[in-house]
Amino acid sequence: MYAVIFLPDFRLQSVLRWREELDSKPVGIVDERSAKSLILECNGAAKAAGVEPPMPSPQGLARCPTLTLLPAVRAEERAAQAALLETAFSLSSEVEATNDGCCTIDLRKAARETWEAACPQVIERLRALHLRAKIGVAPNPDLAFIAARRAEPLLVVNSPQAFLCQLAVAEIDPPAPLLATLHDWGIHTLGQLTSLPRGELADRLGPEADRLWQRAAGSAERLLQLVRPVEEFVEAFDFETEIETVEPLYFVLKRFLEQLCARLEASHRVAAKLDLNLPLEDRTCHERSFTIPSPTSDAEILFRIISAHLDGLQLTRRLTGVRLRMEPARPDRQQYQLFDNPLRDPNRFNETLARILAIVGPGNAGTVEIADTHRAESHRVVAANFQKPGDVAAKRMRGLATGLPLKRFRPPFPAQVRVVRHFPVQVFSEKAHGEIVDSLGPYRASGSWWEKAQWGAEEWDVEIADKGLFRISRNGGEWLVEGAYDTGLH
Amino acid sequence: MSIVSVQFGNSTGGRLSHLRSLLAEKFPATEIKPNGILPTGLRAVDESEGGLRQGAITELVGRSSSGALFAEAVISLLINRQCHGALIDTKHSFDPEGCEPEGLRRLLWVICRDVRQAIKVADLLLRDGNLPLVLLDFQAVRAKELRGIPASTWHRFQRMVEQSSTALVVLSSQPMVEAAQVRIAVKSRWKLDAMLERRSELLARLDAQSFTRRQFPALPETARKTA
Repeated sequence: MYAVIFLPDFRLQSVLRWREELDSKPVGIVDERSAKSLILECNGAAKAAGVEPPMPSPQGLARCPTLTLLPAVRAEERAAQAALLETAFSLSSEVEATNDGCCTIDLRKAARETWEAACPQVIERLRALHLRAKIGVAPNPDLAFIAARRAEPLLVVNSPQAFLCQLAVAEIDPPAPLLATLHDWGIHTLGQLTSLPRGELADRLGPEADRLWQRAAGSAERLLQLVRPVEEFVEAFDFETEIETVEPLYFVLKRFLEQLCARLEASHRVAAKLDLNLPLEDRTCHERSFTIPSPTSDAEILFRIISAHLDGLQLTRRLTGVRLRMEPARPDRQQYQLFDNPLRDPNRFNETLARILAIVGPGNAGTVEIADTHRAESHRVVAANFQKPGDVAAKRMRGLATGLPLKRFRPPFPAQVRVVRHFPVQVFSEKAHGEIVDSLGPYRASGSWWEKAQWGAEEWDVEIADKGLFRISRNGGEWLVEGAYDTGLH
Repeated sequence: MSIVSVQFGNSTGGRLSHLRSLLAEKFPATEIKPNGILPTGLRAVDESEGGLRQGAITELVGRSSSGALFAEAVISLLINRQCHGALIDTKHSFDPEGCEPEGLRRLLWVICRDVRQAIKVADLLLRDGNLPLVLLDFQAVRAKELRGIPASTWHRFQRMVEQSSTALVVLSSQPMVEAAQVRIAVKSRWKLDAMLERRSELLARLDAQSFTRRQFPALPETARKTA
């Protein structure tokens, strides 16, 4: 058996799925590229008012003044098609993307009980994605397509002849001249057509008529052009007018995330990365990627991650739409060490970190990486990744440090130092001022002498009377107070 | 008053303990529960308290060396406990060179411009509740700036840490945190020969004394600011 999932009025559905407020109003989809601005598809309310696609939009508006005309949006159609195919793969791994809003599935390897139970679930799943689907199941692909078009919403054809004989010839889309000839002969139903001898019909009307006879008899077989499972979790939406506030954007994003997370869960995946694209009115766009520290399919968590970014975002142009793409991954199966204490809620921590960075500025919060050099201040702050398991071997390096840790002055204070017999004896500076009663040094270091950025420094640890312990350094002829080891009250 | 005497007994201690148990029973959310102890490796602290109290504010008062050594002890603690912590560095004075790389990997270093930023960051980290240890370094901040922090901020922080298992340690050069559950006063003054000793020995020699909330002397008027 073959199944066809068919989304009637696909272009209309893909545009209307994010615009529920238009459900009860007459709406039509317009081909903006055609000179006559033809109405391609319209909903039931528009049809009831006399709108008949394909009809020029002025004519449609004359018949139905309240008709809302929307352009076909290719990005939204692509997203709907991806959702359709992905859902189709839950029935079988052999799927053909027959057309926009239509796919054919080979069910020959599946047990009847399995697909009979799965088909209603597929319809429900697509309904949850705001897509109205029909499914037809029949012994061959073409018959399944006819069944899908007539399904309400599921039709299983067990007896092709009985099903076909009542159908009008026009249902299987014959060429117009051939249809006219058959009508002239008084042939209106497929049953009447198949009662004619096949060979003689082909002799009189040609090979087209032969193929039509085969389809009418339900015996036309064809090979499916199978597609690979797609993992494109994308949603797109274009606003009717440019927006300046975040509320409409939040509304759409929430809906997107709910839909995408439902799709992820259905495929037993989680989101590892989010790509947000906001097209702006000047045809540029704002792009941002979010790496999810602990991949999840929880829409609420993902929304908080995006909203933390949008809360602090200032754009100089208005938004015309929104595109959201999710990168799926398998659920995290990381094995921690026995005594390691990972974060309880890494996503929440990531969100907190984003808020902290918004307060202190980029590069002012993270973990420290020390460069492999003796040069002072050769560390850099990198993004904290507390999900990475700890390094047990690193424990062996402990207990080697000597002396008091330094509290640095950033920037260091310039100083004047009186030197007697190569030893500093008195310091004059804003931070440390007085007679040096004891000193250790000089500690000389230099490096990168083979490069232009060569460096060298001479450091002294000094005790200044009644002040405490400080580190002073000389670079060239300039003295600096680098920091304090032990000082009192401020 | 007579009813209280009958119900809670006549001795002051008995009455107080009864009152406490009654309050804990009636208002379980306000009861301060000991959430755990983080051993610091500092003999003076671990002997009296067992370590840092989780779910409480600890204030460490002393010279700049005490804060730096304590930060060092905290980094060792992060490695020992295989957990993560944060250092809110108000004056960008922390020097990571010489620290254990594994400890640094477990430490979130937040560099703040002023006290206001540091308070905001501490607020976010305590609300987050993911990190068991948050170190708020105010030792390089002038007393005048510190007096600008309302006392209500510390009480709010205390309420926040009570709900989690976070240990908040405030490093200061003079007592200022009225809501602290424990205050550690470090008296050590170092001479230059300390620079030749192993850091682990310096940590062991740190002369500190712990006080619980009941033993605190009242804060000087200059250190107070009400909301």
